[in-house]
Amino acid sequence: MELDALAGAVKLVGYGLAAIGPGIGIGIVAGSAIEAMARQPEAAGVARTTMFLGIAFTEALALIGFVLFFIA
Amino acid sequence: MELILATAECDPSVDIICAPSNVNELFEFREAIWTIGGFPITRTVFLILMIAVIGSLFLWLGLRKKSVIPSKFQAMTESLVSFVKDGIATDIIGPEGAKYTPWLLSVFMFVLIGNLYEVTPAVNFPVTSRMALPAMLAAVTWVVFLIAGIKRQGFGYFSGIVWPKSVPIALRPLVGLIEFFSTLIIRPLTLAVRLFANMVAGHLMLTLLLVSGWVFISHVGDIGFRAGIGIAWFVMGLGIFVFEIVVIMLQAYIFTLLSAVYVQSSLYPEH
Repeated sequence: MELDALAGAVKLVGYGLAAIGPGIGIGIVAGSAIEAMARQPEAAGVARTTMFLGIAFTEALALIGFVLFFIA
Repeated sequence: MELILATAECDPSVDIICAPSNVNELFEFREAIWTIGGFPITRTVFLILMIAVIGSLFLWLGLRKKSVIPSKFQAMTESLVSFVKDGIATDIIGPEGAKYTPWLLSVFMFVLIGNLYEVTPAVNFPVTSRMALPAMLAAVTWVVFLIAGIKRQGFGYFSGIVWPKSVPIALRPLVGLIEFFSTLIIRPLTLAVRLFANMVAGHLMLTLLLVSGWVFISHVGDIGFRAGIGIAWFVMGLGIFVFEIVVIMLQAYIFTLLSAVYVQSSLYPEH
């Protein structure tokens, strides 16, 4: 096995691991936002904005893993 | 281009995957098309300048004749402006947000048009997938929210970050350290990386699926009925195309939204 190929494989596994946590996190954020919108439809606007904010913060972790795939 | 070259190089009887040797092409500068006064104009620079032209033309044409009964185009432009003004600026920052609307609208239009290049036929290249652009936009946001904080609170803005009064005194060094890093380093970094990585990922996915579909279909003479796999790739690529349009809108919205949130947090530190 060439070392280069192995390094590429390790990077891919690293990105996969980095995507697990944010995947679960975005699921929780979106699920809670839907619950909030269903319970209180008049506050849907606030819930939606906050949901996007939460998703953006959570997603950044996965994207840092994606960038590390290229630069590592 | 690199991908197509890679398929020509590899030997199907030995290689399992035809991968390019590296993806450095994504990060390299191309040859300049022409040079104006010592400034080389590459394709990327030309597209960036076109953003300014398209964005200005769009707003100027939309709001040129301000009639009481708006035309369809004027209504669209007005709803875009009011989306940024009411939906982002005053909604997040508060009544003072109207002051920040021109900046937020510029950022929104810039990122939106820069991202929309990704799905524009014959362009197919989001300029925001070059790290320099998101980094510069994030640097501008960084400067704006720092200046907003300093103007509002003076030097107390920085001492409020590193020595937060609302926290028990034993925890203040720890919380101050975390706040310092998250406010001054992590914020602009993630703001830039989020836009950049989303656009690179979308661009790569579209390129991989559509190009591999095209390569399969165009080699129908060599590989026979197996070229049908290419149709599946192509259909999947078109599905990702629709998904990418959603991502484009969402990223432009999130970039503007987070800029507004950061300004709000330095104007009203108690929230």
